[in-house]
Amino acid sequence: MNQQLLAKTFVELADNLVADFDLIDFLRLLTDRCVGMLGASAAGVLLADRDGELRVMAASDEQVRLLELFQLQNDEGPCLECFRTGTPVIVPDLTREVDRWPRFVTAAHRSGFGAVQALPMRLRDEVVGALNLFRAAPGPFDPAATLIAQALADVATISLLQQRTTHRSTVLNEQLQTALNSRVLIEQAKGKLAERQNIDMEQAFTALRGYARAHNRRLSDVARALIDGSEPLPGLVA
Amino acid sequence: MRSDSRSARIQALVVEQAARRGARVGVVDVCTAAVAALPVGGAGLSAMSRTTTSHPLCSTDDISEQLEELQLTLGEGPCVDAFTQGSAILTPDLLTGATQDRWPVFADAALEAGARAVFALPLQIGAISPGVLDLYADVPTVLDAEELADALAFADLATLLLLDTRIDETGAPTGGPLPDRGFEDLGGYRPEIDQATGILTVQLGVGIDEAFVRLRAYAYTQGRRLAEVAADVVAHRLRFSPDAEPRQTDEET
Repeated sequence: MNQQLLAKTFVELADNLVADFDLIDFLRLLTDRCVGMLGASAAGVLLADRDGELRVMAASDEQVRLLELFQLQNDEGPCLECFRTGTPVIVPDLTREVDRWPRFVTAAHRSGFGAVQALPMRLRDEVVGALNLFRAAPGPFDPAATLIAQALADVATISLLQQRTTHRSTVLNEQLQTALNSRVLIEQAKGKLAERQNIDMEQAFTALRGYARAHNRRLSDVARALIDGSEPLPGLVA
Repeated sequence: MRSDSRSARIQALVVEQAARRGARVGVVDVCTAAVAALPVGGAGLSAMSRTTTSHPLCSTDDISEQLEELQLTLGEGPCVDAFTQGSAILTPDLLTGATQDRWPVFADAALEAGARAVFALPLQIGAISPGVLDLYADVPTVLDAEELADALAFADLATLLLLDTRIDETGAPTGGPLPDRGFEDLGGYRPEIDQATGILTVQLGVGIDEAFVRLRAYAYTQGRRLAEVAADVVAHRLRFSPDAEPRQTDEET
């Protein structure tokens, strides 16, 4: 593993956390770094909503988002198991787990994934979600990389607690509600931008995020400005 | 699925209030049901807007009514903050220094009116934010995690009901006392609905609220699920146009 890249990633994540950050953008950065740095083919973050039901909050690409949704719909798979048990689920070779998760293994294979590890996001004694790393080729996971992935999952958990809260027992409820709404806002903006510029949803997301970064703005603020039409947003909207 | 259980239960409570009133389900039923289900004394709901004047829509008692009017008149208070910040503002006790500093005029006036705790929940679906639901208690009150989750579910339902009144204005049949289609969509998160709403702002040349209302109205009139219609819009199988009926196409882009 590239030590420099690792250090750079933690600096980047920490920078995000001390600034006025956007949770969805932050989680997406996290999944992207899992892919770029830890040799994962794809990564996703699931968080429990106010009813304890998991939601896909970020995914490094569309393929993995669909696979995460598939797990939720079919109520089986390593990520759900990780969330329910609160312990890591590491599967170096998915073909050996056909009996355990028949539908998930088929779907994962179809998406081009041969191995997966699911790491719990824990806050004190509560499991709030899971970070999932998918790899195309089967084979053992590097224990050092797993440690770092768990550290990234912990950073993601801490990020949930960053924003100001009024009452401690409701921290997660409020945070997740706000994060979910921010997710909705960004999807609305993606739709508007994609339709206007005749590009696909992923390109629209990349453009929105690029604009937010270049102008040092929160992703959700840019999304809102785009929807309200309250600013010119040069370079983003032709 | 389990995720639907809370919204289903909350919806049943609201329907029951409407039945008792012998009327179609409206936002007022959300208020009365919330008061019955939560440790609060009253509830009120205001339509809020960034561009036009905000106004109170309903309230369950005099104190609630005063709280709504106070905030809109003064331009300060938990309801105003919930709207501008887009997150729930929970004030377990108005009689604290921090609260008095934050809303110097409102805090005293609200205490005078008989409120001690105020919880303001924004009605929102992304950039769509048609109003705020306010709950108050006459003693210091902390909502626990379950109660807060219920309160948020009441706010979700109020959001759809408030937007549905605009579907009624378009003349589309909403089918029965409480349209069941569409309400399921808040349970499982489907990004296609939000993306389609964004797409419609461009195809119809309208604001985001209107785009969502038109999407739902179309689903109602066609008797189809909102998620399906949205998926068609995102896949370019269905196009809306400002001066014609939406058109199904076979073309995939």
